[in-house]
Amino acid sequence: MTVRAGLRGAPLVSALIDLLGTEKVLGTREDLLIYEFDGAVDTATPDAVVLPNDTADVAKLSRFCHQHDVPIVPRGAGTGLSGGAIPVEGGVVVSFARMSRILEIDAPNMRAVVQPGLVNLHLSTAAAPYGLYFVPDPSSQKACTIGGNVAENSGGPHTLAYGVTTNHVTGLELVLSDGTVVRLGGKAVEYEGYDLIGAFVGSEGTLGIVTEITVRLTPLPEDKRTILAAFPTIDGASETVSAIIGAGIVPSAIELMDQLATEAVEAAVGAGYPLDAGGILLMEVDGLRDGLDEAATRIEEICRANGATTLRRAATTLERDRLWAGRKGAFAAMGRLAPAYYVQDGVIPRTRLPEVLRTVRDVAQRHGVRIANVFHAGDGNLHPLILFAKESELEGVKQAGLEILEACVAAGGSITGEHGVGMEKNCFMPLQFTADDLATMGRVKSAFDPAGLANPGKIFPTPGRCREFQLAARR
Amino acid sequence: MTDRIRPADAAACARAVAESAAASRSLRVRGAGTKDYLGEVLPADAVLDTTALAGVVAHVPGDLTVTVAAGMRFAEVRSALARAGQFLPLDPPHADAATIGGIVAANSTGFWRSRYGGVRDLLIGTTAVLGDGTVARSGGRVVKNVAGYDLNKLFVGSLGTLGVLVECTFKVLPRPPATAGAHAQFARSADAFAAADAIVRTSARPAALAISGGPGGAWELLLQADGDAAPVERTLELFSQSARAQGTSAQRHEGLPAVLATMNDVSARGDGAVVRAALPLAAQPAFASTAARLEGFTQLVADAASGIVRVVLRGDDAVVIGGVDALLAAARVCGGSGRIERRPDSLRARLRAWGDAEPAGLFLMRRLKEAFDPRGILEPGRSAAG
Ligand SMILES: Cc1cc2nc3c(=O)[nH]c(=O)nc-3n(C[C@H](O)[C@H](O)[C@H](O)COP(=O)(O)OP(=O)(O)OC[C@H]3O[C@@H](n4cnc5c(N)ncnc54)[C@H](O)[C@@H]3O)c2cc1C
Repeated sequence: MTVRAGLRGAPLVSALIDLLGTEKVLGTREDLLIYEFDGAVDTATPDAVVLPNDTADVAKLSRFCHQHDVPIVPRGAGTGLSGGAIPVEGGVVVSFARMSRILEIDAPNMRAVVQPGLVNLHLSTAAAPYGLYFVPDPSSQKACTIGGNVAENSGGPHTLAYGVTTNHVTGLELVLSDGTVVRLGGKAVEYEGYDLIGAFVGSEGTLGIVTEITVRLTPLPEDKRTILAAFPTIDGASETVSAIIGAGIVPSAIELMDQLATEAVEAAVGAGYPLDAGGILLMEVDGLRDGLDEAATRIEEICRANGATTLRRAATTLERDRLWAGRKGAFAAMGRLAPAYYVQDGVIPRTRLPEVLRTVRDVAQRHGVRIANVFHAGDGNLHPLILFAKESELEGVKQAGLEILEACVAAGGSITGEHGVGMEKNCFMPLQFTADDLATMGRVKSAFDPAGLANPGKIFPTPGRCREFQLAARR
Repeated sequence: MTDRIRPADAAACARAVAESAAASRSLRVRGAGTKDYLGEVLPADAVLDTTALAGVVAHVPGDLTVTVAAGMRFAEVRSALARAGQFLPLDPPHADAATIGGIVAANSTGFWRSRYGGVRDLLIGTTAVLGDGTVARSGGRVVKNVAGYDLNKLFVGSLGTLGVLVECTFKVLPRPPATAGAHAQFARSADAFAAADAIVRTSARPAALAISGGPGGAWELLLQADGDAAPVERTLELFSQSARAQGTSAQRHEGLPAVLATMNDVSARGDGAVVRAALPLAAQPAFASTAARLEGFTQLVADAASGIVRVVLRGDDAVVIGGVDALLAAARVCGGSGRIERRPDSLRARLRAWGDAEPAGLFLMRRLKEAFDPRGILEPGRSAAG
């Protein structure tokens, strides 16, 4: 780990108070405690937390941190699942809790301009009266922020047909780590010059801080059909995913849950999923109402041909919401099965689903752990949830996770589909990328953040923390 | 400019670029050369011809992805995918001759963008040779992937200035079971845009909503609907309704794809100047009426669902220059941006492709250019970013 010489601890806190005022700075032990962790498993304590009111505050703070060699780590709701918001090298955590407003809903241009701390779901709620919504719908959408979504390039069940966050962002205001404010893009679909917005989305806070976001809003579908299909085995469910896509049908969502996940969801939410199924698919088609019934029927026929034992089509909005509540509450429901869980997030080409799911099962057996699977099957984005009870099991659990990622890469996939690299997978980047690939990303990093103060210790392998992994890889 | 380098694979391309960098020899990166008119085409010491980088590298139909060598012609990719009942949902200009690498580097899209996404939305993986010969990969062959920075986006529209694309991976789709076309004519451009807007606000998601008009004549709105038969029929109905609401009527149009292709190739014709603007959706009608009032106004073609408008101007030099300036200013004023896509060779020196406006974040673009191409040998000066 790089040891920086910059300002830290109590002197940093008092300097920040001088700079921004007491009401914007947290620095006591108790205050800092909740900023030590996010949705993942790693922790680190910040030296201070700053709660800016506006872009000017962020710019002022960044300039100060730049002068005093202080790392700066942006934070939304802290639901991230790769330790992205954890200040692994200390320094200042910037919370966007007070920059959470919708600045504009521009219905004629089908855009919204928002502050980064806005909760994802609030945007779609506010846009609904205009017949519009924000497509990316992470399962955490009741809590996670648009700033976090931009940083992670988040997806959700419905991004299969309509794209992930990067496909819905047309403008950004950034504060670079030296305090420079840059406004990129706007309400048109593209602007001249390099697509800096495209490079920034998914950069996990390592290229700078986003302080304002212009997003595309999409017309609400006229209607939807939601189908639940239960299969005796998880293989049956995963082979059906390929069969549906193979038949030329791309539904707006295809989510898969295995029996263990179903058990937890039913105990926690009671979504009405059959408990005896080895695998469940939750699928949706939407758009104009015409032809939706036919499309749903075709999907049901394919499910039946692939051995589905139960098929249910939501007849009312209430029923549909209940089916989705189960899926969206699935991670939280794991508490019913074990005191703790560790989520993995790998991607594979969709035709490799059955095979890689079998590998996941083998990994579970080998490590003597239980793994529940709840994931975006339509785009091959796995989320094995590895259950555990005690802190002491964590190393073994992480090892199991790594073996699953290795299987994903071997199948031609990726070590992360939507949760990001963060500090959790930065050591694994060489599984997927060559040294030249990583060095090229490093050139982008240096162009935006020459001082290396923007969320350090993320994405790129760090010599200190990753040494052990490299040794293990060599063995 | 006599030298021509024609590498057959990534390694040969990397060697050639590294040698050029060592010799400070500048390179024009060229596929089929269909877009030689784009950007500031300054002299280069040699041409790096990508057309030997050809062939489908990987296509597993069930994965809905395809990986192709960047010098492959789009038309060939299209036929290869068609054999599997699939398509790459791009409708770029010069579709018959253009190469994949050229389409990505020029960010070529047509009218399908709103439904299917543009190049940036469909491109999920690249292998590129940077200006110092480094071979860099980004993304991959899976449709969802957030491992590391998304460098793919940087190459889209970079006009070869950041790297030579050698391989590209795209999302593809099954061919829609049904497709149909319709059109309607309007006396005023504003009415055509209003009719289009009514469709954009539904969840019909037509494949194309294109507007075409010229001085004096009628304004035509063309619709292409793709999908299952029932929603396609309904989309045509919605189209008829929106035409009626503007006091006209819609007709089926069987020959639509050919008409759209011709409209899409407005920039291919050599005479006059073409301005391309990307605008906020609701700014299109005002922009169109500004265009229609210009002395040299010849034709306007819009992807009304995406806000991308191209205007052809003809006339003597002063008329063309004045018109171009007015359009670039109008695009900026309404919150969009524009460029000169094509101008007569005689005006190249007097009309810079990006006008006088600097793109936002130019200093970052310059740093990226320097980082990716330290010797500045790749297409020097060709793009808005250098
Ligand atoms: C139960 C549960 C379900 C989930 N389901 C999904 C899912 O379906 N799909 C999905 O993609 N993810 C999912 N996630 C992961 C997580 O919710 C997303 O990554 C989300 O986008 C994070 O948002 P956040 O506001 O919590 O960000 P945080 O966790 O606070 O931060 C995440 C990253 O964003 C950076 N960041 C935050 N704000 C800014 C800013 N203003 N500027 C620059 N960088 C910033 C941080 O530095 C950090 O690197 C889930 C998480 C949980 C706990």
